[in-house]
Amino acid sequence: MAYRVIVIEDDPNMLEDILTVLRRSPDFDVAATYKQAHAAINPAAMFQPNLFFMNVDNEEVLNMVPDFVARFPKAYILGTMSQWNPLVAQKVMEGGGTGCILKPFSAKDILEHLQLYSARGQRKPAKLISFFSPKGRAGRTTLAAILAFLIAEKTGERVALIDADLQFGDLPIFFDLDPKRTVVDATQDIKLLTPVTLDPYFYPIKGGVSLLSSPDRPEYAELVAPDSLTEVVMMAENVFRYVLVDLPAGFNPLSLNICRISTFVLVTTMINSGFEIKHAKKAMDMFAQQDDGKRKVHAVFTRVNPFTEENRQKIAEQLGYPVDDMIPNEYKMISVANSGRLAQGLPKDSLLVQTISGMADKIINAKE
Amino acid sequence: MTVATDNLIERSSVIISVFSTTPGIGKTIVAINLATGLAHEGYKVCLCDLDLQFGDVLNYLKLDSKNTVAAAQRDFLDHPDDFHISNFLTDYTQGNVTFSILPAPLYVFDAYLIDVQVVTTFINKLNHFDYVILDLNSMFSALNLAMLDLSTVINYVGVIDFLPALKNYKVGYDTLIRFEYEESKIRLVENRADSQKLIESRDVERLLGESFYHRLPNDYPSVNKSINTGQPLMFAAPDSKLTKSFDDLVGLYTNRPKSMLQPEEQKTSSGGGFFSKVKNFFGF
Repeated sequence: MAYRVIVIEDDPNMLEDILTVLRRSPDFDVAATYKQAHAAINPAAMFQPNLFFMNVDNEEVLNMVPDFVARFPKAYILGTMSQWNPLVAQKVMEGGGTGCILKPFSAKDILEHLQLYSARGQRKPAKLISFFSPKGRAGRTTLAAILAFLIAEKTGERVALIDADLQFGDLPIFFDLDPKRTVVDATQDIKLLTPVTLDPYFYPIKGGVSLLSSPDRPEYAELVAPDSLTEVVMMAENVFRYVLVDLPAGFNPLSLNICRISTFVLVTTMINSGFEIKHAKKAMDMFAQQDDGKRKVHAVFTRVNPFTEENRQKIAEQLGYPVDDMIPNEYKMISVANSGRLAQGLPKDSLLVQTISGMADKIINAKE
Repeated sequence: MTVATDNLIERSSVIISVFSTTPGIGKTIVAINLATGLAHEGYKVCLCDLDLQFGDVLNYLKLDSKNTVAAAQRDFLDHPDDFHISNFLTDYTQGNVTFSILPAPLYVFDAYLIDVQVVTTFINKLNHFDYVILDLNSMFSALNLAMLDLSTVINYVGVIDFLPALKNYKVGYDTLIRFEYEESKIRLVENRADSQKLIESRDVERLLGESFYHRLPNDYPSVNKSINTGQPLMFAAPDSKLTKSFDDLVGLYTNRPKSMLQPEEQKTSSGGGFFSKVKNFFGF
């Protein structure tokens, strides 16, 4: 059955273009068109529409997205924009809209966007989780990968893993992959991409988890501008309900940019020599200085031994911050990661996976 | 034609950078024990902690000092004509062994402000030392590349216990070769060489197409003692196999023929093209 469509567009030429496309396609049935959102909201109900095109370049229309969502909870609500604007796209999702589409579009574009946004999961803004470690060798990548699988499994929603550890990213090797497209390609092409055309840069791993790989040569890292990576991450939020970013070690423009827009920053530390707690404290201090209430910074300790509350207290005292999550050691994990079989072989019954499963629940259930 | 410039005379110290492409595999321990061993043989040694954000040299030696690279940079920029790097060095002394340390900044924010050119100047000012040991972090950053350019030898450390670590060791080595560091300058040093592991050293050598210059054995108890007491291995665990192995490595670095030192070449190779390109990326 064809979609019953309402178009809200104040530019007569653009409206004409959209109508031409819709009328030519058997998939769409145009019920009515309006110039302004407030004029549309009541009369539109008469047509029982299930697809809206709302010109969100217009701020008044953008602001009314939540009203349309409340009034037409079962309809698809697509924001239309003439240039991709990540902040507007984010606002559409915050308002409960389906997503955004670039003008001009074809009938095929519309169907592809609807399919992509339906597969994404709940119509809510994405949760962006970045994995930070002061020096590296903290179990950061392993944690990110396991969390990705568990979140996807629990929610049935799409989860992205972005390997932003550009020089020495380990995610491709964890999954024994050699993807043709990497984060370098995505950042170089981002100005020309839409959510639908960005999606193929991600390599589907398993069960709704997809990977945007790091490049295979360290010097390619210089090709990635931190701002472009931010744009890639923000567009990925339209394709995936959860976006997990594995950051390079330490503070640099790239890691700071991504942390700034994250919902959660997991400051991940593994204790070896003992000085790692000092480094974690330095990092937590840096994040505390930059705190604007927009993100949660969690201190996470991996391979904690002994895995006791007493030890948690001891670490927290030295750290000067609470230990939000601690993860036990699991030797089985090393051989799993070593064999490139992380996607197949999660030791489900282990305390390690159970603990990370608890973290996944916390992330999933955290208020938007 | 080689012209004996002032520069040629000035650059008499051997610069050994301790580098790896995987963090947390013992670079700082290698750097400290190299410095100790060389000082023990009577050489004047300076150890520079250039893991700017999270350097651990002072932590390992249980030292405290406000004299850091950051303090030195501030003073240098304020009074370039009346600057003496020696004012910013901290000495470590134990028994008859003494070496100097240029510590990393105490705060991440200070680390962020460190300028690669200034650090290069500092290293040049350390030329009255016989050996300058550079403890770097695990990235191809602008700073690290500038330091690798300056170095006489690159002590490239790897621990081959984990597949990603092996991948990064190989990728790092290939990258060094692509950046045209002479193979003779890169010394492959395997740490924790005899630990139980899934990957054999000889397979690693086959993969890299190069053999290990030296292997340091796995000796967790001695390293632990060294960290707990804040002393180099020579003092914390004098009879251990790891201490002996470090002594062998020091021997390798002190018995090199003088032709290994090529100061005029170091001069021309610093400030290379890739360095400036990545500078923009890393921003420091």
